[in-house]
Amino acid sequence: MTNNLNMAQNLAILDRMLLIRRFEEMLIDLDQDHDFGHYHLYIGEEATGATVVESLRPTDLLLTTWRNHGHLLARSADPGRMVAEILGRVDGYNKGRGGTLHLTVREAGFLSTSGLVGGAVGLAAGAGFALKQAGEGNICVVFFGDGSLEEGVVFEAMNLASLWSLPVLFMCENNNSGAISAQEGGFPSSEIAASQISDIPKSLNIKSKLVDGADVAAVHAVVTEAVSNIRSGNGPVFIEAYSERWPGSRPLWPEQATGVTQLEAAWDQTVITGEHADWVRKFDPIIRFIRSQLEAGLFSKDELFDRDRKIQNQVIEARAFGEASALPDPQSALDGVFAA
Amino acid sequence: MPPDSNSNIQSDRIITLKAAVLEAMVEEMESDENVILIGEDVGAAGGVFKQTEGLFENFGTGRVIDTPISESAIFGLSVGAAMAGSRPIIEVMFGDFLTLVMDQLVNQAAKVHYMSAGGFNVPLVLRTGIGIGGNLGPQHSQSLHSWLAHIPGLKVVMPSSANDAKGLFKAAVRDNNPVIFMEDRMIYNLVEHVPTGEHVIPLGSAAVKRKGVEITIFAISRAVHTALAAAEILLEEENISTEVVDLRTLAPLDIKTIISSVNKTGRALVLDGGHQSFGITGEIAATIGELTFDYLDAPVMRLAAPDIPVPYGPSLESMMVPSVDQVVAKVLTMFGGSV
Amino acid sequence: MTMAPKLNKAKSIELYRDMVTIRTFEEEVRKMFSAGLAPGLVHLYSGQEAVGVGTCAVLSADDYIASHHRGHGHCIAKGGDITRLFAEIIGRRPGYSLGRGGSMHIHDPETGNLGTNGIVGGSVPLATGAALSAKLRGTGQVAVSFFGDGVLNQGILFESMNMAALWSLPVVFVCENNGYGEFTEIDDVTAGRPYSKRGEAFDIPSGKYDGMDVLVVFDAVSKAVERARKGDGPSFLIFDTYRYSGHSVGDKQEYKDEKERQLWESRDPIQKMAKAMADMKLASKRDLEKMDEEISATVVAAAKEARKMPAPGADDLTRHIYAP
Repeated sequence: MTNNLNMAQNLAILDRMLLIRRFEEMLIDLDQDHDFGHYHLYIGEEATGATVVESLRPTDLLLTTWRNHGHLLARSADPGRMVAEILGRVDGYNKGRGGTLHLTVREAGFLSTSGLVGGAVGLAAGAGFALKQAGEGNICVVFFGDGSLEEGVVFEAMNLASLWSLPVLFMCENNNSGAISAQEGGFPSSEIAASQISDIPKSLNIKSKLVDGADVAAVHAVVTEAVSNIRSGNGPVFIEAYSERWPGSRPLWPEQATGVTQLEAAWDQTVITGEHADWVRKFDPIIRFIRSQLEAGLFSKDELFDRDRKIQNQVIEARAFGEASALPDPQSALDGVFAA
Repeated sequence: MPPDSNSNIQSDRIITLKAAVLEAMVEEMESDENVILIGEDVGAAGGVFKQTEGLFENFGTGRVIDTPISESAIFGLSVGAAMAGSRPIIEVMFGDFLTLVMDQLVNQAAKVHYMSAGGFNVPLVLRTGIGIGGNLGPQHSQSLHSWLAHIPGLKVVMPSSANDAKGLFKAAVRDNNPVIFMEDRMIYNLVEHVPTGEHVIPLGSAAVKRKGVEITIFAISRAVHTALAAAEILLEEENISTEVVDLRTLAPLDIKTIISSVNKTGRALVLDGGHQSFGITGEIAATIGELTFDYLDAPVMRLAAPDIPVPYGPSLESMMVPSVDQVVAKVLTMFGGSV
Repeated sequence: MTMAPKLNKAKSIELYRDMVTIRTFEEEVRKMFSAGLAPGLVHLYSGQEAVGVGTCAVLSADDYIASHHRGHGHCIAKGGDITRLFAEIIGRRPGYSLGRGGSMHIHDPETGNLGTNGIVGGSVPLATGAALSAKLRGTGQVAVSFFGDGVLNQGILFESMNMAALWSLPVVFVCENNGYGEFTEIDDVTAGRPYSKRGEAFDIPSGKYDGMDVLVVFDAVSKAVERARKGDGPSFLIFDTYRYSGHSVGDKQEYKDEKERQLWESRDPIQKMAKAMADMKLASKRDLEKMDEEISATVVAAAKEARKMPAPGADDLTRHIYAP
């Protein structure tokens, strides 16, 4: 697949993906020290989030789910304030009230992150409605997983978006497809009778596309076209971006199943070992991207390591910031139930 | 960090609350083939908290059904199945998600028996986990028991210990009405001696968990333990004799036990893990005031969670759960100068 | 119970009679409402008889149906007692709910009727669940979920169809598309054409049919029920039909136009069946008129009897909150 992105865009996407990966890896370690409850990682899905934002305006609106770190970082949320929020500290984006499940970054255009499956999709139709009224050509992107298509409210929201030609991009990140993911006992498992998830939006007359979520160029092509369509007032689009679920996300609590990512894996097979070597070799979107972009001469190996080093430092600083931030005064919990 | 994955069944009949409910479920499923279990991840995965471990292997796909993420229809479907002769146990993963089953629960399940003048029963158990303390945030920490107790036709049960949990769950499955069985996950691992076999505790019966003569603390679920701990301190440090009544069932409420305890002690404090306003504490306080005002030596007081969404952060979340110290302090205020 | 009914003379007459009974019944209900005897609201089925009758004629007594607010026709077609139905609608004690439920809360366990319902879409999972129960118990029973076109946009339909397909449940989803969700044209609020694609998305055999022709309904539902009994799972059938009355009695129907009404009336299901029976030489015009008179007499007598029945007492109010 020819890469229809220019050098600056490709590098931006690379940096986003590396930032997401290193951030998520850091969280597994952070959890050992702090035990911050249940959390969900975007490892293995970076290519989608990092690329989608490339087609968006700063004034577009977004909604996401409990698996939000990748989307937020892709939209330049401050990793330090994210860590603070995940640790429940006063400098967190939600002042410690939301945590990882509800991280909301208003300045990056995020309206909310829902802890309930499908919960944000209804809101997205509403945001689309408001944006259409405002008439400035902005759109709403809502990220959700394959499980969301099992919730009735998603169907209802899509019906309305289609009926009223709302400017909504339904980004379905299906991380449950593929042979490895269909293992017995892994959860949650997708239980949908549709042979193609896109048959559902299609039955509501919504244009639907399928794309390999780990292929940066493919994602960019599909999303750019969809966004342009939506901005022209042609109604919503549904994109199913599939990926092979990261093995560390299969148990209830994330586990460092594939080891801290070694970028050399893109050219040196010998560093890929262990039970999940196959996933790293074939499905890791970052390794795939590096492999193809090295070939295309986007960067040298040294430049790559350099970028990674800078990003790792950024993550270290973010962690330090978060850990240094104070716990909010318990009494502050009583404030802000109602708007003034 | 994941919680300790204790083995569910321990020796010597001292078992956890979680294990006790599982045991009850196994026994009821063994004795009545119409009892089925349905919910998300309850089968092959054994439940997200391993609370239904082994059932799928034991009973198979005909009795243990894994579902898509469709709470509304899952529950509605279970109502229909119950009307047609099945006895479903429906697991809703988090108490917060009851909002998704509300229509089928309130407008269908609660009313079918009445509307059909006894023609149809809806024998089912809706089992859900509640509990503040895992930093799960506002959409994964709520307990909506007050909403449900308010609806005629529903029964609401909240055990505080393993022994009660087993007995009440068996009763719930055998009950021919829609019963909501709510377990606080924070007390899942509390152990207690639990009898084997036909150990059934009737719904609608409260229990005196600690005898006392000067004040009664009414509590349910996890708050019972807070009350018991507070009672110990009150005796040791203030020489106040506290009776603790575990309500066990909210609907129907065991008014007889409530009144007889207040008649004995003359003071009542009601504890709840739900929000204070418009909740069960108000119901009990009003009931006591109406039925036994002459026996009261002080106004009935309440202690519950503040009226705020459950915040996530560890320093904030602690605001939501009435602590032992807070209970002790509240009791002392009820004795004014007579301590 | 698992024997598929044949469309013989007896069955054809049954179809005709049931439709006439419903039409006559609804006329009496209208009169009762206008006389102030029926508290609340009533939603009449006149015009849609072919769907309820053609469907229930395929079913056995122990098959299930779940109905909705426009459900008198379903109750009658499934074998309900018309006197008790009248009684319930006008709030009298011998009614199906002791007179406490009214038109939208009629449940009849003896005829497998899981109830009329006040919640749009509310009964869809009930039928689906009854089908699940039947499958688990291995009884061979099937369930029919009746719902209107408004439910095409309800999430609960979508969730129920997914599970029915996933687990091959013996349920038939019957959509009575009368073109209106209350006062709104359904085409104005429903995205996606044809509507049958909603079922096809879950790989459920789906189709659209003429709901004014009871023989077409009977045929389509027969095939669906056969599929269900064989274990091949659900079907999604959309029957195009029309309600002559307003959403509820009292609705002035200003949103309908006269031409549309005339067009549908020219396709009246009862007249259509009468003609078909005459063509098939199953009954003469005189036979049919005689049937009409008999039915009218029976229905009017039942209505009269119901009017004399007592209201529920104060004690009846608090009974059946809980099952024993």
